[in-house]
Amino acid sequence: MNSAETEFIAEKELVSIVPNFNYEVIYLISGDIGPFRAGLPVKVPIWLAMSLKRRQKCRIVPPRWMNVEDLEEVKKQELNERFFTKMPSEHYMVEAHLLLSVAADDIPRCEQIRTILKDIWDIRMSKLRSSVDQIIKTNAIHARLDHLTLMEINSIRPLLPHALDQLFRLQNGRGPSQASGSQAFTQ
Amino acid sequence: MFGQKGLELIKELNRTPDVLPPFNDDVIRQVLEEMNALFEQNRMDLDKEKDANYAGVHVRHASLERNRRCLLAYLYNRINKIRQMRWEFGSIIPPEIKYNMCEPEVQWFNNYNKILATYMRGIGNKHGLNLTLDRQPPKELYIEVRCLEDYGEYEMDNGDVVTLRKGNMYLLPRGPCEQLIRQGILQHITD
Amino acid sequence: MDSSFGLDNEVALSDDETVTVQQVLETLENAWLNEKFSPELLPHQTDIVDCMFEQISGMEENLEKVDQSDIRVEIHRMELDRIRYVLSSFLRTRLEKIEEFCTHIIEEDSTRDPDERYLSPGEKKFAEEFQNNIEQHFERVALRHMPLNVQKYDRQLMKVEPNLKSYVFLRARSTAEGLMLEGMDDTDEPLTMVKDSQHMALYSGVASLVKNGTLQLI
Repeated sequence: MNSAETEFIAEKELVSIVPNFNYEVIYLISGDIGPFRAGLPVKVPIWLAMSLKRRQKCRIVPPRWMNVEDLEEVKKQELNERFFTKMPSEHYMVEAHLLLSVAADDIPRCEQIRTILKDIWDIRMSKLRSSVDQIIKTNAIHARLDHLTLMEINSIRPLLPHALDQLFRLQNGRGPSQASGSQAFTQ
Repeated sequence: MFGQKGLELIKELNRTPDVLPPFNDDVIRQVLEEMNALFEQNRMDLDKEKDANYAGVHVRHASLERNRRCLLAYLYNRINKIRQMRWEFGSIIPPEIKYNMCEPEVQWFNNYNKILATYMRGIGNKHGLNLTLDRQPPKELYIEVRCLEDYGEYEMDNGDVVTLRKGNMYLLPRGPCEQLIRQGILQHITD
Repeated sequence: MDSSFGLDNEVALSDDETVTVQQVLETLENAWLNEKFSPELLPHQTDIVDCMFEQISGMEENLEKVDQSDIRVEIHRMELDRIRYVLSSFLRTRLEKIEEFCTHIIEEDSTRDPDERYLSPGEKKFAEEFQNNIEQHFERVALRHMPLNVQKYDRQLMKVEPNLKSYVFLRARSTAEGLMLEGMDDTDEPLTMVKDSQHMALYSGVASLVKNGTLQLI
């Protein structure tokens, strides 16, 4: 899955906007949105928020977690925990990337937010690397990967599954009983 | 050694994974000649009575099968490349590529075009969907493009006609642009 | 002006089942991801696909009638583009597999009951013609020039099969208990995949749970 597809999926997430126009409810196939009242926040999918923002028809309200304090807390927790912690959003990196790309003026201290997100990403990537290492070394036939986000899964795809496929093939000559049990990388 | 020529065909494809090399009539003929010679030799050996050289017969038969396999693999992999081109360039093959195809390959391509078109027309209870478009997730309805060569008039699905001139920039619906971008006529300007 | 564009929010997929259009779209999106990540071809979703096309064309017709400067027009068009992309990517992914594993898929499908087939009627026709087209090509260019004893085309020899023993990522849509995966033996505890938990496992061991909707490939 390429990054355009990851973005496509993350763009379905809802975000609050403050429109500068009035409009009734719009009945989209993916669900109703609106009504739009100038100055009042309303939730819309990110793809729509970005389009309206580009045309200066709204201001984007940063998601509740997208601020320096909350993210510092997330970072601290991620550092302290051995396993992957649950991120405030399933698509935290992509969402932040998308929103910051069109609405940096609506998000306070956006440079700092970028830096902390990068730190969180790095911490998780390093955990992921050691998990992958362990999966391969222990020859796990199953691994539990809770709280990994799509973009993180993508970062080990196709390399990890491919490496394991090859190992499986090599072992097949020796019979499947060589593989050891299940591995958990989350609580 | 037997099978050498067949292997040559496979190596030839491997050398140029991204382009379609000229159809190698010459080597194919040589492989077929070798196969027929092997067959003849086996027939002669088996026609002789008891003291037939069975080991020789087996080796030759294995070589026959290997040659067949190489030939079919050569043809199959070329078809795969030609198929990919249908998705990249559309239903008309650029002349420089067609030049490297043999006549049966051109016919295979035309047939493929036909069955693909029939399939795509029938999608969604005959609503039809051109699967060669929408290759990347949509971003905006309109995209900014720069024209890289004098293309002339281009008619869009809705009937609007735009004249594409080299060096000019246009704001066009994303759909019809996709193919022109792949063909190198337009360039998508991203910020 | 009616802002729903006169589309019904509820559609009937079969005689006794009505679902919202939104649910149909979700089903399509899930089927798309499953198809994208599964090594083999999954059952066709013609009902879902056809239903989505009805919605799209109904919406497009209605959009034609409206003042084109209406803000809704553009918003609806953007959404239609997104849905068309999912449809297109879904069907394209299937077509790629059909071409690659053509002979294998036709063989497998011929053993299934007509309403259990994985290929849609359109795909079946395409697959058969695709197979013929290639076989004719082999015949024309090579086979008929070969010695008699190797002239016969052996489908089994050229057959490409998907690797079902490949690893996939998945999320449990509902809890699955008592799983014995490939490679586990009697001494291993059967595995439970709790709702919403995420895993990596061999596709062959979970294929049936992907097909019945318990697990979602991610």
